[in-house]
Amino acid sequence: MKRTTRRLATALLVVAVGAVVLVAAGSGSRAKSQVSAGGTYKVGWEQSFGFTDNMDPVGEYLAEGFAIQTSLLDRTLVGYNHVPGAAGNKIVPDIATAVPTPTNGGKTYTFHIKQGVKFGPPVNRQVTSADFLNEMKRLASPKDGQEYGFYYNVIKGFASGKGKTISGISTPNASTIVFNLTQPTGDFLYRMSMGATSPQPAEVTKCFEGQAGKYGNDLISTGPYMIQGIDKVDISDCSKITAASGYDGTSKMILVRNPNYDPKTDSTAARQNFPDEFDFLIDANKDDIYSKVAAGEFQDEISSPPGQVLEKYYTSHSPLLKQYSGDRTWYLTMNLTAPPFDDVHVRKAFNFIMNKNALVQAWGGPAIGKVAHHIVPDTLFNNQLAEYNPFATPGDKGSLSKAKAAMKGSKYDTKGNGTCSASACHNVYLLADTRGQDLKMVPVIEADAKKIGITFKVHSINGAYPTLQTPSKNVPIGERPGWGKDYADPLTFFTPLFDGRNIIPNGNTNYSLVGITPAQCKTLKVKGNCTNVPSVNSQLDKCSVLIGQPRLTCYENLDKYLTGTVVPWVPYLWSTATHIIAPNVTQWSFDQFSGSTGYAHVAVK
Amino acid sequence: MLIYLVRRILWAILVVFVVLFITFLVFFKLPNGDPALRFAGKTPTPAMLDEIHHRLHLDKPWYIEFGYFVKTFATGDQYGWPGLGYSYNSFASVKSQIVYRAPRTLWLIAGAATLWLTFGVAIGVLSAVKRRTLVDRLAMGFALFGISAPVFWLGLIALYIFWRTLHWTAGTGYTPIAQGPGQWFSHMILPWVVLSMLYTAIYARMTRNNLLETLGEDYIRTARAKGLSERRVIFRHGLRASLTPIVTLFGLDVALLVGGAIITESVFNLQGLGWMAINSATQQDLPIVLGVVLCTATAVAFMNLVVDIVYAFLDPRVRYS
Repeated sequence: MKRTTRRLATALLVVAVGAVVLVAAGSGSRAKSQVSAGGTYKVGWEQSFGFTDNMDPVGEYLAEGFAIQTSLLDRTLVGYNHVPGAAGNKIVPDIATAVPTPTNGGKTYTFHIKQGVKFGPPVNRQVTSADFLNEMKRLASPKDGQEYGFYYNVIKGFASGKGKTISGISTPNASTIVFNLTQPTGDFLYRMSMGATSPQPAEVTKCFEGQAGKYGNDLISTGPYMIQGIDKVDISDCSKITAASGYDGTSKMILVRNPNYDPKTDSTAARQNFPDEFDFLIDANKDDIYSKVAAGEFQDEISSPPGQVLEKYYTSHSPLLKQYSGDRTWYLTMNLTAPPFDDVHVRKAFNFIMNKNALVQAWGGPAIGKVAHHIVPDTLFNNQLAEYNPFATPGDKGSLSKAKAAMKGSKYDTKGNGTCSASACHNVYLLADTRGQDLKMVPVIEADAKKIGITFKVHSINGAYPTLQTPSKNVPIGERPGWGKDYADPLTFFTPLFDGRNIIPNGNTNYSLVGITPAQCKTLKVKGNCTNVPSVNSQLDKCSVLIGQPRLTCYENLDKYLTGTVVPWVPYLWSTATHIIAPNVTQWSFDQFSGSTGYAHVAVK
Repeated sequence: MLIYLVRRILWAILVVFVVLFITFLVFFKLPNGDPALRFAGKTPTPAMLDEIHHRLHLDKPWYIEFGYFVKTFATGDQYGWPGLGYSYNSFASVKSQIVYRAPRTLWLIAGAATLWLTFGVAIGVLSAVKRRTLVDRLAMGFALFGISAPVFWLGLIALYIFWRTLHWTAGTGYTPIAQGPGQWFSHMILPWVVLSMLYTAIYARMTRNNLLETLGEDYIRTARAKGLSERRVIFRHGLRASLTPIVTLFGLDVALLVGGAIITESVFNLQGLGWMAINSATQQDLPIVLGVVLCTATAVAFMNLVVDIVYAFLDPRVRYS
C-alpha cells in the first residue's frame, strides 16, 4: 500500500515539475513588446470588430470603421483634419484641389482632382474621376450593400439609375467630376466626406458586384496605409482574388504603409502618419485589454472601460484618459400615440419629474458625460443652445412641483391634483434593455414616475432595439435609445429621428412616431391615438436646403420646438467618447468627425 | 459489432440533423429581431431590408431555408464540401473559420482533459487509499475548492499571479504550436490548469467514491485472499471497475467542451469555437452558429460512440451485438 501511494505521489510530482520547466522555457522565449521608432500602434478591440459591412466603404457605417478608413485607408474628395473640436468638423480638401463653392443656386459642385494620388498595390495607378464615379455607382446599387445611400438621393438620377447610370454626375476629364443636385443641399460637402464616396478601382470592384461587404477583405487603398498582404493579391482575374492576409474579418486587421502614397498630395494637418504599422486586434477579455494598455502592449483600445478602471484614471486626472464630446444623445423615448404619453401634459410632467442627474450617475457619473437638456449635442450647434433647458430643475434632479404644474390640464389627471390618475397611467409598458446602466436606470425611472402617478410594467430585453424599432409593438416608452451624428450637421439627428414620412414597419428609428398619420397607423398596425400627432416634416424640408448660420438657426429652432413643445423625449445624457491610451504613446489626437482616435496623428515610442 | 456501429452512426447522424433543425427553428422563430437590420444601416428602408433578406437567404419560410441548408451541406458550396456557407459578418467561409478556431479549442480540451483525468483519478485513488487521513482531507478540500471556484475568477487570479506578477507564463492570446512549442505551451498552460480545476475536483471525488465502493466488494476481498499485491488489487481489479462511470462522464465532458469552453476561451483570449459561437449568436450570424452547433453535436455523438466502445473493453460483461 505504502509503495503504491508513494509511486503515485512521485509520478504526480514529476508531472508537476515537468510542467514548471516547460512553462519556464516558454516564458524565456517569449518576445516582449518592444516599440521601435515608427513602431506599431496596436489597438485592442473588444470581442468583435462589429463592422456593418466588413469595411467595404459602400456599406461601412461603424464609427470606428469611419475612423480607420478616413484616417488611414481611403481618401475622399474632401475630408477632415482628424482633430478634436470644431476644427475637426471643418471640411478640408483631400483628393480635391480645393473645397468647391456650389454654383447654380447651390445645386452644382465641381471638384478638381490632385495629380499624384495613386491607388496602392496591386492596382498601382493614378486615381481619376472615373474611380469616383465607379464608387458612386456602387453606392447607388442596393445589391452592393449601401447603408447610407439615402444621403446621395439629392444627386440627379442617383436612385433611379440603380447603379448603372447616374445622370447627375459627369466626368468631363480625368481630373474633374461634377455633381448636379435636384435641390440645394446645405450639407452636401459633409456627405462627400463620408468613406462611401472614396474612389475605388472598377477593375477590382467589378469582381465583387452583388456581394455586399466582401470587397472589404481586399479594399484598395488611396491613403497612407494599406491592408497587409494586399500587394500579394492577384487581381488579373476575378477568380484569382483571395482575401488579403492582413484582415480576416474576425480577429485581426493589420495595416502597413502604402508605398504609393505621396505625402506631397496630402497635408500634415490632416495626416502625419507616424507609425509604420497599425494592428487592430480582437481581444475577448476587456480586463486583458486595459491591462495591456497600461503595460504598453496595446497603445489604444476600442472597448468601454470597466467602472473601476475608468474611475482610477478619472480620479487621478491621468493624462492617459482622453475624453471628448461623443456627439451622442441618450434619451427616454415616449410614443406620441400611446396613452398616457399621447398627452403632451404628461410628457412635459415626465420631463420635469425625471432625475436626470441620477440617470447619468447610473451610467457612471460625470466621467461618462453630462446631463442633456435638448436633442442635438451642443457641439453641433457651436454651443449656441448651451443655455437652453426648457425643463430645468435644481441640480437636474427633477421637481415634483413643476411636474405637477405641467400635468394640470391633462385628460389623465382625473383627480385634478397634478398626478396621472387615470387607469392608462398604471402598469404602462416600459421597454428596457439589460446592460449594467439599464438595470440601474429602471428603478430611478420607476421611482420618479410614481411621484406623478405613473407606474410601469417593465419589460427588460437583452437587445431592446428590434422591439423598439417595430411600430406595431406599440411600445409607450423606451429606455434604451441613443443616437450619434453621422457627420457634424444636425440633419443627421432630425431627419432619421423625426421625419414622419420615414416611419417603416421594421427598423424604424422615429421611435416616438412624430408626424405619423392615421393612414400610416392603419398600415403599420399602430393601435394608439393617431389623430393630431404633431409633425415637423415641413420644418425638416425647410432647414435641409439652407446653408451656414441660417441652417444652424433653423435646426436650433427645430430643436427648441421639438424639445419644449412636441416633447417626444426625455434627453438625459450627452456622452463623452472615452479612450485610455498607453504610457508609450507619444502623440495622440481625437478625431471629432468619427468620434474616435485620430489615427492620422498618433505616434508611439 | 459492425452492425452495432453502423446503427449507432446512423443514429448519430439523425441526432445531429435534429439538433440543426432545432437551431434553425429557434433562430427564425424566436423574437430576437431581424438579422437584416444589422446590415441596413441606422435608417433602413423596406426596399433595403428586402434586398438584404434576399442576399442572406432570409426571404423564404424557415423550413425552405432549412432545406437549402441541408442541400448545400450535402452537395457542397463554393468553398467545397461540406457546404456550410459564409459568415454574415466577416464574409469568410464558415469552414475556414472553424478550421482556424478549432485547434485552439481542441488543444485546450486535450491539455485540460489530460490534466483532469491524470490528476483527478490520481487524487481520487490517493484519497481512497488513504481514507480518513490528512491526505484524504486535503484532497477532498482541494476538490471542494475546485468545484466552488468559478472559472472566470480562477482565470483572472491565475493571470494576475503567473503572468502579471511572476512573469512565468506568456499571458493571454494564442500562439500556434508551429510558431514555437515553448510559446504555445506558455500560452496554454494557464487555460489548461484553470479549465481542468473544476473537472479534476469532480473526477477526484467520483473516483474516490467509486473506488471505495468497489474496494468493499467481495471479489476484492477474494483477490486479496489470493495473495495479490495491493497495487494489483487496486489498479487491476478495483480501479478498472471504478472507471466505467468516469469514462462515460469523460466522453460527455470532452464533447460538450467543443462548444462550451466559452468562459475559459474568453478570459484567456483564446478565441476558439465556444467564443466564436457566443459571439456569432449575439450578432445573429446564423451560418457560424450552425457550424459550431454541427461541430458540437457531432462531437457529442462521436464521443458517445467512443464511450460505448471503451465500455466493452473496460467491462467484459458488456458486449455488443
